Amino acid sequence: MDKELVDFALNYAVGKKVEYAEVRAHSEDDEGLVMKNGVLDAYSKAVDSGFCVRILAEGGIGFASTNKWTKEEARTIVNIAYKYARMAKRRDKIVFAEEKSAQANWKVPEKKKTKDVSPQTRIETVMEVDKALTSLGINIAARMFGFGTSLTEKYFVNSEGSVISSSLPRVGAYGFITVVENGKPEQASKSFGYAGGWEALEEWNIAEQMIHEAKVLQRVIKEGKAVKPGKMDLVCGPEVTGIATHESCGHPMEADRILGREMSQAGKSFIYPNGPFWLGTKIGSPAVTIVDDPTVPNSYGYYKYDDEGIRAEPRYLYKNGVINEFLHNRETAAKMGTRSNGASRAVSYDREAIVRMANTFVQPGDFNEEEIFEDVKQGIYMRSFMEWNIDDVRFNQRYVGREAYCIEKGELTDPIARPVIETSTQIFWSAVDAVSKKVEYDSGSCGKGDPMQGIPVYMGGPLIRLREVYVK
Amino acid sequence: MSDILAKTEQIVKKGKALGADDVIAKTVFGRYRQTRFSNNQIDISIAWNDYATDVFLTWKNRVVATLIRNFQKVDESVKNLFNLAKVSKENPQYGGIAKGKFHYQKSKADRALENLENPAKYVFEAVEAARKEAGPDTNAGGILFTKFEDVYLVSSEGPMGEDSRSAIEFSMRAFSQKEASGHGVECSSTIKGFDATRAGRKAGEIAKQAKNPKAGMEGRYDVVFDPLFAGALLDMWGSMTSAYNVMVQLSIFVNKLGQKVASDIVTIRDTPAAYSMANRVFDDEGVPARENVLISKGVLKTYLHNTSTAKIFKTETTGNAGLVAPTHWNIEMDAGDMSRDEMFHGVKHGLYLTNTWYTRFQNYATGDFSTIPRDGIFLIENGEIKQSWKEIRLSDNALKMLSNVVGISKQRQHIHWWGVEGQPSLAPYILMKDVQITRPK
Repeated sequence: MDKELVDFALNYAVGKKVEYAEVRAHSEDDEGLVMKNGVLDAYSKAVDSGFCVRILAEGGIGFASTNKWTKEEARTIVNIAYKYARMAKRRDKIVFAEEKSAQANWKVPEKKKTKDVSPQTRIETVMEVDKALTSLGINIAARMFGFGTSLTEKYFVNSEGSVISSSLPRVGAYGFITVVENGKPEQASKSFGYAGGWEALEEWNIAEQMIHEAKVLQRVIKEGKAVKPGKMDLVCGPEVTGIATHESCGHPMEADRILGREMSQAGKSFIYPNGPFWLGTKIGSPAVTIVDDPTVPNSYGYYKYDDEGIRAEPRYLYKNGVINEFLHNRETAAKMGTRSNGASRAVSYDREAIVRMANTFVQPGDFNEEEIFEDVKQGIYMRSFMEWNIDDVRFNQRYVGREAYCIEKGELTDPIARPVIETSTQIFWSAVDAVSKKVEYDSGSCGKGDPMQGIPVYMGGPLIRLREVYVK
Repeated sequence: MSDILAKTEQIVKKGKALGADDVIAKTVFGRYRQTRFSNNQIDISIAWNDYATDVFLTWKNRVVATLIRNFQKVDESVKNLFNLAKVSKENPQYGGIAKGKFHYQKSKADRALENLENPAKYVFEAVEAARKEAGPDTNAGGILFTKFEDVYLVSSEGPMGEDSRSAIEFSMRAFSQKEASGHGVECSSTIKGFDATRAGRKAGEIAKQAKNPKAGMEGRYDVVFDPLFAGALLDMWGSMTSAYNVMVQLSIFVNKLGQKVASDIVTIRDTPAAYSMANRVFDDEGVPARENVLISKGVLKTYLHNTSTAKIFKTETTGNAGLVAPTHWNIEMDAGDMSRDEMFHGVKHGLYLTNTWYTRFQNYATGDFSTIPRDGIFLIENGEIKQSWKEIRLSDNALKMLSNVVGISKQRQHIHWWGVEGQPSLAPYILMKDVQITRPK
C-alpha cells in the first residue's frame, strides 16, 4: 500500500476549495475455496487494493475511487470527486458533525496466523466436514461449502489531521445442506465468522455443527408435527433472537434510514421525525436491552475505528424497552444535532462508507436456561430459522423455524415442522418477559447500500421468552 | 490486436509456459458512475474506475483462480497461481473449457455512457415528473447509474475476443405520504430512447394511488404483478436454471428437465441481447453468448451450462459460463395476448402488486418462500382498483406460482433495480391465480 500516494491525493484535494476531504486506501488479501458435493470446485487467492477520495464541497459530496496506484490517477479521481460534490447543488447543505481528529494504528492479533496455513490444510479441513456428513448414514443429497480467510488493511487520512492504519484478519465459512427422507427434502444453512486467525476453527467445530443440522433435518422430516395455530409462549434460541435483533432493532435504528437516505433501496424506518416512535418511546418490555458493539473481541463485526476515523463504542439501541440511541455517521449526526458514534463502514475502497451495524445482540438477563422453559405450560421453542424477512420500515417481520420443539409443562417434547411467527416489531419485543444469562452469536453478511455492500456482522443474544404471541 | 488484449494474451502464454493445461484471462476496464438522491436532493455522486484481470488456470484438473490488478506483477502472479494449482486438489468433475475460434457479433455498446454529461439533470427532471403526478409534497429518492466496460478475453483453447458493455439504470421511489409510495425504473444499454422522467411519472402515479393505505387481509387472491414485481420473479426462476444451482439443490427444477413446470402460456428465455443492461457477445469461456429457451409452453427445456456442467449433464454448453457456476444473463418472459386493461378487467376480487423485496426461501428444492410487497399494493374489485393496502406478505411456492400463471401482457419492460438481487429481465404484467397472502398478527 503506497501511503505516500494516499497522502499526495489528500494534499491535492485540500488544495481545492473543499470543506472536507478524506482518502481511504483499502487492501483485501483473500484466499478461499468452494466445494460442492465433496468436490473442490475451485481454489482462489487474490489481493485487491485501491483507494478512494471523498470530498465535501459547497454542501455536496463527491466520491471517486481507483485501483491504479499512480499520481495521475490520484489527481483524476480527486478532480472527479470535487466536480461531483459541486454538482449536487443542494438546498440543505451537508455538514459533518465536529469530531476530534485521531491518530492510531490498530490490528487484531492472530493466535495462529492464517498465512501459515497451507492450501492443503484448508482443503482438508473442509473435506473432513464433508466426510463427517457423508458417513452419518443420512441421505444428504446436496452439500455446499465456502471457506475463506482475508486480511483487510486500511490507511485513512482526512483534512482534519486524522491518520489511521489498521490490519484486520478474518476467517469465514458457510455450509448449506439438503437432507432427503422419504422423498422429502429439507434444507439448512450455517455461517461462521471470526476476526483473528486460524484458532477460529477450534472454536467453531464446523463438522459437529453441520452434523447436528443434518440430524435435525432428518428428524423434522420424519417426526415433525404441525403447529396448531394460535397464541402461545415462544422461546427463541440465540440464532432467532439474533436475527430479530438485527432486523427489527439494528436496521430501524440506522440514522441514514431514519432520515430517508436509503428510501429507494433498503427503505426507511418505522422511526421518523414527528412519528409515533422516537428517542424515549417505548418499543419493548423492560427486559429488552439491545446493544450494537463493534468492540466485542474477535467478533466478525469487530473494528476499533470506523471508516470516518471515529473511535468505535458500544451503542445502546433499545434500553430497557425504550428507543435509546441511533447508529450514526458524521453526516447523520450533524443533521440530528449529535455526535457520531462510529457506525460508518465500507466493504472496499470503491464503496462509500455508510451507517452500518457491527455486532448486535440482546444483553443477558438473569434467568437460568431451565427457568426460561420451566414456566411455559404450552409453547414452542424455536432454536433456529431458515426463512426470514421484514418490511422496508422494519416493522412487519417473519421467521420460520428450522429446528423447533413443542414445550409442554416446561419440557421439550416433539419436534415441530416449520413453525412461523409473523408479527410486528412492537408486539415481538413487548412480549419478552424473560432473558437468559448466556449470549451466543451467529455471524452474517448484512446487506445494505447501492451498490450492495455485504458487511460482516454478528447477531445474537441469549434465550428470550415471549408470552402469548401468535404462532402458526 | 489492441495493447490490452496483447497483455491479456501474455498472461495466458505465461501460464501455458509454466505447464498449465487450461488458462483463461479476462481483463476488464470498467468506468462506473452513480448519482444517489433522496428527499429530492442529491446525496452523493460516485465514480469508480476499475482495472482488473481475472485469471483461471487448471493443472491436472486442479482449478485455481486469481485477480491481477497490476500488469507489472503478471509473471509473479501467474507463477504463484500455478504453484497454487500444484498443491490444490483434483476436481474430478472439471470438464475443460470451450475449444476453437469463434466469430462474435460486434458490440453495440454506447460510448455516450462512458462519461455521461450532467447526470444531475436526469435526476432533477425525473423528480419533477413524480411531483407533477403525485403533488408538490412528493418526496423522492433513487439512483442514476451508468456502466461502460471494455472487456478482453483470451483462452488457451482458442477463444479470443474484445467486447464493450454499456448500461444505464434509473431507479426512483416516490412517497406521496409516509406510507404511500411508488417505484419506477428505466433501464437500457444505450442513452438513445432513455427517459428517466418515464420512471418518475410511474413512481408518482403509483404513489398518488397508494395514499391512505389500509391493513391488508390474508387469503388467496388472483394477483396482477406489475413488470417491476415480475422482474424479481423472473430473476428468481432464471437463477434456478443454472446447472450449478440444480446440483446443490438451490433450485425448484431438480430432475425436472422435459417436464411440465409452468402453465402452457409460459415461455421463458435467457438472452444477453443488445438492448439489455447485461449485454455481452461472449461468456467467460469465450463462447458466443446466445439466447436459450428455458421453459417453452410450460415445459422445462434446459439448464444453463458452462463446459464443465454441460459434460456432467451430457449436453453442450449454453454459453453461460461463469467458470465455476453458469449464470443467467437476462430473463425474458414471452409476451402474451392481453392488454394491461384486459388483465385488470378479468379480476373480480384480487390484488395489483407493484413491487417487492426481501425474497427468502424456507426450502429452495420445494420452492417454499415468502417475499414482501412494497410500494403500491392495491385491492382490485370487478376490474377496478378499490383500495390501497399495506402490511402484507406473499407466502407461497415458486413452482406452484409458475403453474398458476393465467395471463401475460403484450406490453413488457426492461427491469432492473437494487431490489432485484441478480440479473435484469424483460418482464410483462403477469396475472396469477390463487396466490397466498399473509399478514402479521
